[in-house]
Amino acid sequence: MGERKATVAAEVGLHARPAATFVQTAMKAPMDISVSKATGGDPVNGKSILQIMGLDVRQGETIVIRAEGEGSEEILDQLASIAATP
Amino acid sequence: MTTVLAPVEGAAVGLAAVPDPVFSAGMVGPGTAIDPMRGPLEAVAPIAGKIMKLHPHAYVIVGDDGKGVLVHLGIDTVQLKGKGFQLLAAEGDRVTAGQPVVAWDPAAIEAGGRSPVCPVVALDAVAGAVTGVALGTVHAGDELFQWA
Repeated sequence: MGERKATVAAEVGLHARPAATFVQTAMKAPMDISVSKATGGDPVNGKSILQIMGLDVRQGETIVIRAEGEGSEEILDQLASIAATP
Repeated sequence: MTTVLAPVEGAAVGLAAVPDPVFSAGMVGPGTAIDPMRGPLEAVAPIAGKIMKLHPHAYVIVGDDGKGVLVHLGIDTVQLKGKGFQLLAAEGDRVTAGQPVVAWDPAAIEAGGRSPVCPVVALDAVAGAVTGVALGTVHAGDELFQWA
């Protein structure tokens, strides 16, 4: 299981544009994508905008993104980059 | 089938008319948008359910079947940090369809240089799942679209 940590840089947190971009990218991945807060709590489905909005990640909070399987390293890099984009 | 109600009075104009590509390109999900009446308004819950997220400028209601509807009050209104919005319910509250959630004034948003247009979006829905989208004049609580 691969994972990346990313600190959310957008002022709005992982909502609106960053959330939509994140989920759209995650949807292209063939494998499951899970996202949780680095501080703990249950992981949510990275392909669900409802669940990502519900996770309520604020600017400056760190998330852990997990995926497994062929191509997962590349998709994790992309998702971490989106999360860390101001 | 979920019937989604208009959260505010105004003109249903479609998502393509929203001046934000995240919404106009359907990235958040399918639905429509309402160009609201100018003047003090109470934005209501589009469906019955639980208020999963309540920001002053946006809220998500999740029905008992797990379907979530996002109502966004104006564009780039997160920048107002709540100014001009009054919460009439609390996050986690159960609401009935048509129950007031946030009081605001689209005219004040517009005067501040922002679009007051309100996207109403079916979250995690595929494009074809939304049908019967209203166009033109709607009142708060009128049927806005159907979500299969």
